Amino acid sequence: MTGSVSGLRAIVITHRLLVRQLVTRGRIAALLGVGIIVSLVVALVSRAGGEDESAEEALEIGTSVMSNLGFTIVVPIVALVFASAAFGDLKEDGTLVYLWLRPMDRWPMAVAGWLAAATVSLPVTLVPLTVAALIADVGSELVWATVLACVVGNLAYTAVFMLLGLLTKNSVVWGIGYILIWEGLVAGISGVGEKLAIRGYTRSIIAEQTGVDLYLGDLSLGIAVVVPALVILAAVVLSTLRLRSLDVA
Amino acid sequence: MSASEPSLLPPPAPPPVSTARPIVEVQNVTKSFGDVVAVSDVSFTVGPGVTALLGPNGAGKSTLFRMLCGLTAPSRGTVRVLGEQAREHRNVRGRIGLAPQQDALLDRFTAYEFVELAGKTHGVADPSDQARQSLAYVDLDPEDPKRVGAYSKGMRQRVKLAAALVNDPDLLILDEPLTGLDPVQRNRMISLFHDLGDGGKCLLVSSHVLDEVARIGSNVLVIAQGRLVASGDYRRLRELMDDRPHRIRVQADDARKLASALIGRGVVDGAAVRENALLIDTLNVDRFGRNIAPIAAELGIRLREVVPTDDDLESVFRYLVERR
Repeated sequence: MTGSVSGLRAIVITHRLLVRQLVTRGRIAALLGVGIIVSLVVALVSRAGGEDESAEEALEIGTSVMSNLGFTIVVPIVALVFASAAFGDLKEDGTLVYLWLRPMDRWPMAVAGWLAAATVSLPVTLVPLTVAALIADVGSELVWATVLACVVGNLAYTAVFMLLGLLTKNSVVWGIGYILIWEGLVAGISGVGEKLAIRGYTRSIIAEQTGVDLYLGDLSLGIAVVVPALVILAAVVLSTLRLRSLDVA
Repeated sequence: MSASEPSLLPPPAPPPVSTARPIVEVQNVTKSFGDVVAVSDVSFTVGPGVTALLGPNGAGKSTLFRMLCGLTAPSRGTVRVLGEQAREHRNVRGRIGLAPQQDALLDRFTAYEFVELAGKTHGVADPSDQARQSLAYVDLDPEDPKRVGAYSKGMRQRVKLAAALVNDPDLLILDEPLTGLDPVQRNRMISLFHDLGDGGKCLLVSSHVLDEVARIGSNVLVIAQGRLVASGDYRRLRELMDDRPHRIRVQADDARKLASALIGRGVVDGAAVRENALLIDTLNVDRFGRNIAPIAAELGIRLREVVPTDDDLESVFRYLVERR
């Protein structure tokens, strides 16, 4: 009657389950609210200069505000909330057993966990930030930079924070520590720290696309896309290994 | 499990229960969590039929079940289900059905959605049809639109059981499945266990309630303090348990006078007075019960309290483990 479940099938089933578990009204409303507020701030500050401001100055201000608020706060925090909960919630409430004790490989579960977190968190960040870039009206460069950086940053953060949810009990606390301390402080004073901060790659994409100089934004577009892709791969592989070795309650 | 001669086993090395066609093989398994030893050097084999795992709370039953399912690895020893380790072999995991002890369910799912999901994740050919059958088997309505989060404890237990059955498993592991069920549901579930066992499935059912175990299965494994302390046929085991000396505390006006009379007339096997209370040891509780009140009345002694001090499950296990 039963057989093993193929990798693709396992991804589809697990993805559906996790998306359903992740999407709660409270989470979506709270995070969408944060996204909208930040987006309004970005839009308002960018347009505050009025007619005295040159197009170049307006782009510089808009890019700076978008980078500092959107990609330092909104993208990583939203990714953290959803990705750490992807398996973290199931692990904590004891329902992971209903996925784990099945004839499924672990890698499709890890892939599905990452995709589920991205499926939910990407629209919550991409839509308000893109709308903010449009309202700022400082040129299409910022809009495209926002879209690309949001996609790359979101996919990378969700992979890393999903792993964090599997590794630690208080993953949100650890995640906030990473965002504030590592990305906010260590990355600025250490070369190694900078390379291990996803924020550096999203800022580099924005800087590259808009031509605006940004702190921690001096990598080429190719590196800013390829390195996060490798980070995603590494995080998914480590999550697979973690799922294999996990003690399930 | 074959009906072998029951044994009360001195720790730490109980012999295995032999079977003709073992589905579960546990050999010298120990599981430690830091300094805490949850399961200690346990060995047994189990074949088709219903086997009850009896032990007090915290005895190591759930840890043992988790190791059988591969949810946690043993610190020492080997656990095999259908000849393989469930932690390593995904096909074996597809042949196990587990109803865990914890109450956790996917609360936003209906019973049908939950059981259908179990079917899908097991690779069942027709998960929808199988989910309906499993739910009907445990007397739940597949069309019920209520989410399982709103279900009573008993209904949630049945949802877990339906999910465990959906893949038609060879090994069904049910951790305290009767908790929260009313008497009618208990009878129905126990009858269902026997039907499944008679159909050739291997069922391991845990309980910490001594009398419940008698109805679950005639074959029992008794675990206490992480050790397998007894195994075999329940009825013989129960006789051995009942044959143990019982200790009763008696509060009376003149404890010493009462003790002399009880010993002198051969009603009890031993008596001691401690802190104004009379501690009685007897191998025959019925005889003691019949005689204590008439003797006290005859001597003009007022009885204030007669309480068995060792009638709980813990003391039965203590007897099995330590012979005291």
